[in-house]
Amino acid sequence: MNTFYVINLLIYAGVDAMACLGLSQQFGIAGVTNFGFIIFQAAGGYAAAILALPPKSANGGFQSYIGGWNLPFPVPWIGAAIVGGVIALPFTFLVGRRLRGDFAAVGLLVTAVLLNLLATNYVPLLNGDAGLSLIPQPLQSRYSPQSAAYQWTFALVAVVLCALVYLFVRRITESPYGRTLRAMRDNDVVADSLGKNLLSLRTGMLVLGGAIAGLSGGILVSYVTTWSPAAWGYAETVVLFAAVIIGGAGNHLGAVLGAILVPVGFEEVTRFIPTSNSLPPNLIPSLEWVAIGLLIVVFLWARPQGILPERKRVITLPQAAPAPAAVAAPQAPLTLVRPAAAAGPEIVLETAGLTRDFGGVRAVDGVSLSVRRGTLTGLIGPNGAGKSTLLAMLAGTLRPASGTIAYLGQDITGTPAFRRARLGLVRTFQLASEFKRLTVMENLLSAVPANRGDSLRGAVAGRRYWAGDEAAAIARARLVLRRFGLEDFANHYAGDLSGGQRRLVEIMRALMAEPGMLLLDEPMAGVHPNLARRIGHELTALCREGMTILMVEHELAIMDEFCDPVVVMADGAVLAQGTMAQLRGRREVVEAYLAG
Amino acid sequence: MALFLASVGFGLVTASVLAIAAVGFTLQFGVTDVLNLAYGAIMIAGAYVAYVVNQAGLSVWIGLVAALAVCSAGSVLLNSGVYAPFQRRGTSPITMVIVSLGMTLIIEFGVEAVAGGTSVSYTMAQGRTVQAGGLALTAVQLAVIALSLVVMAGVHALLRYTKLGKAMRATAANRTLARNCGIRTGRIITVTWALTGALCGLAGVVFAIDSGSFNPTSTDIFLVLILAAVFLGGPGQAYGAMLGAVIIGLATEVSAAFIPADYKYVIAFVVLLAMLGLRPTGLLGAAQ
Repeated sequence: MNTFYVINLLIYAGVDAMACLGLSQQFGIAGVTNFGFIIFQAAGGYAAAILALPPKSANGGFQSYIGGWNLPFPVPWIGAAIVGGVIALPFTFLVGRRLRGDFAAVGLLVTAVLLNLLATNYVPLLNGDAGLSLIPQPLQSRYSPQSAAYQWTFALVAVVLCALVYLFVRRITESPYGRTLRAMRDNDVVADSLGKNLLSLRTGMLVLGGAIAGLSGGILVSYVTTWSPAAWGYAETVVLFAAVIIGGAGNHLGAVLGAILVPVGFEEVTRFIPTSNSLPPNLIPSLEWVAIGLLIVVFLWARPQGILPERKRVITLPQAAPAPAAVAAPQAPLTLVRPAAAAGPEIVLETAGLTRDFGGVRAVDGVSLSVRRGTLTGLIGPNGAGKSTLLAMLAGTLRPASGTIAYLGQDITGTPAFRRARLGLVRTFQLASEFKRLTVMENLLSAVPANRGDSLRGAVAGRRYWAGDEAAAIARARLVLRRFGLEDFANHYAGDLSGGQRRLVEIMRALMAEPGMLLLDEPMAGVHPNLARRIGHELTALCREGMTILMVEHELAIMDEFCDPVVVMADGAVLAQGTMAQLRGRREVVEAYLAG
Repeated sequence: MALFLASVGFGLVTASVLAIAAVGFTLQFGVTDVLNLAYGAIMIAGAYVAYVVNQAGLSVWIGLVAALAVCSAGSVLLNSGVYAPFQRRGTSPITMVIVSLGMTLIIEFGVEAVAGGTSVSYTMAQGRTVQAGGLALTAVQLAVIALSLVVMAGVHALLRYTKLGKAMRATAANRTLARNCGIRTGRIITVTWALTGALCGLAGVVFAIDSGSFNPTSTDIFLVLILAAVFLGGPGQAYGAMLGAVIIGLATEVSAAFIPADYKYVIAFVVLLAMLGLRPTGLLGAAQ
């Protein structure tokens, strides 16, 4: 086999694997579906080219381009990575919290088509359709790029850089920050409600993936010495997606495997198809695209987890401390209530005139409510009374049309959900909202505020930087799990649990966020009555410790036993408030709700 | 001024083609909940069906009917064979988009494998040029505009006055509720695929007539115009798509009178990105 053929293969594998790692980090780990991924590789390629090329006048003037700084290696590669990362910033407006993921993906796809169209037609910038050529190779004035030694070194450098990128993305993925990214991927609204800043997380991923893609483009351009719009059509992004899906989204080794199987494999296998003049000229390339499309659809159907599935992150709990029998659960120094709230003002939450419409229907109509510290306040009302809407406005998931909300005396009406969670106002959801592909333990850990490893910088700093915080969080999670009797399930995937257990996970996770006040949306719906009563007892115990809870619930027996006071809503407004015994004596309440 | 009026003429034709395509796309998305990016690929497949009929010596207008039938049946099959099974599994919307991109590659390059990558055109007479108030349009262009107006009136009548149209609107608004009200949503969705598939095939042929020559990848950019029109009016909104098509169609062609024609699509891209970023529910959609 030809040596240069092997070198060529190695370099392509290195470049494609690197790009796939960037995409795997964005798509597989963080759930950011960047259909414009190829833009970033293209930008890196152009950046490396114009940094390395001499001024266009010195180049015979046969191509026109901006830049031409003639800078020495490794400046073009560094520049490629920087440009790839920086051009990600304008795209963040598409991936914020507001826009549906599939619409954002379409926006990115369309941007890729647009930029390709512009680069093709606008010649002065980057020589248009013809593209750039004669791009200098690294250190070509000192060594001969045609020599085998040079080519081997180039291949080695490409593979080593790819390995470094692998180690880098793994370091990020296996950190608390990586766990937050996976939580966002599994359910972004819930991650938001637990204090995660989605915009900043997604921006981080776009920039990081963009820089990796840019570097891969820079390396590629330095090797092939040409770069034109034909090399980065939107369909190239689809090839990279095919690679990541087939290899295994969420597993970086899978991304590397996918890169070797799809872009490299396709390029190489088709070389061995005998060419024949009887075949139409475009047949083989067309069929290749058809095959890539088929691979995507078939894999998503038959093996959506890919060849190498995401692996489970098992956290082994040290068994050194002999676990005492469950009956004698140790009263460990576990404070679940945020001290600032436990000893704060008497009125924890107060609303005035809260209103919200849905397309002409007034779901919540001027609700003024105050919740006192240490109470387990119940919220009941017939279906459509506006309970869940009210809760969503209190948590910041929905914006009120008018009215104000104050938490611990501070006006939070305009505060986004993740900031409210950070202040200690934490909600749970009516529908099951566990992070399915995180274990129970990871679900709990994902909510811990102020973990040093829960930022891009902390993740890059490495395990030693955040190991202390992580150990403390694990110890705390373990106590919470023990209190709710789910310790044995710590390393089960949350998505595999029973309905009742999932409700427990959600409450435990909310507690891990160190709330000052909990907003619970039907925490006992669909839960076995025995377990429901156990939850009720735990909640009242929490309130004795200083927690404040507002709970929507339909089960009147639960309200009778645990909640005081109870607020009755009907038609978007507060109808009455008091103990259940008082409410049963009030005619309008009985008519609106109790008699049904 | 003459240039401006000529470009308005082109704009009206483009808007007519775009309206047929965009109304089909938006109804498809609204009722079935599938953001079917393979729509452009199916359009071009329809254009090639008409080409085959045309090459056999028949009129393009007969080819148009054939394309309509093939794309309608093809869309129903695409749904029942691919999209519906994925949806029944609870596949996330984003994965559905990736599936539809995979189908785009399969259909578009499947056509290329069969038909080759070179551009082709229909054999047809353009007819007499009609002058009216400074606008100069060929008989074929007028026929395209007339066809589009008929289709828009038909869609309007369907949605407003027929039981089927009301059932479609109900299914789009809330599928579960519609089913609970006794609407056979499964059947409505199949009918919607057949109907929007037919619109897609129709759009493919009039697109090919309007562009003169076409190849298997010709609709890549046109799909962006469709998306721009759809998002301008609000995804799922049939009347919004009509309005969006008129705005985008006129804007692209009229802007071509003032900027290099290579950049005439830029305005559509900018509109689409602005709508996605600022008001994804569209001009006629509810504010968030």
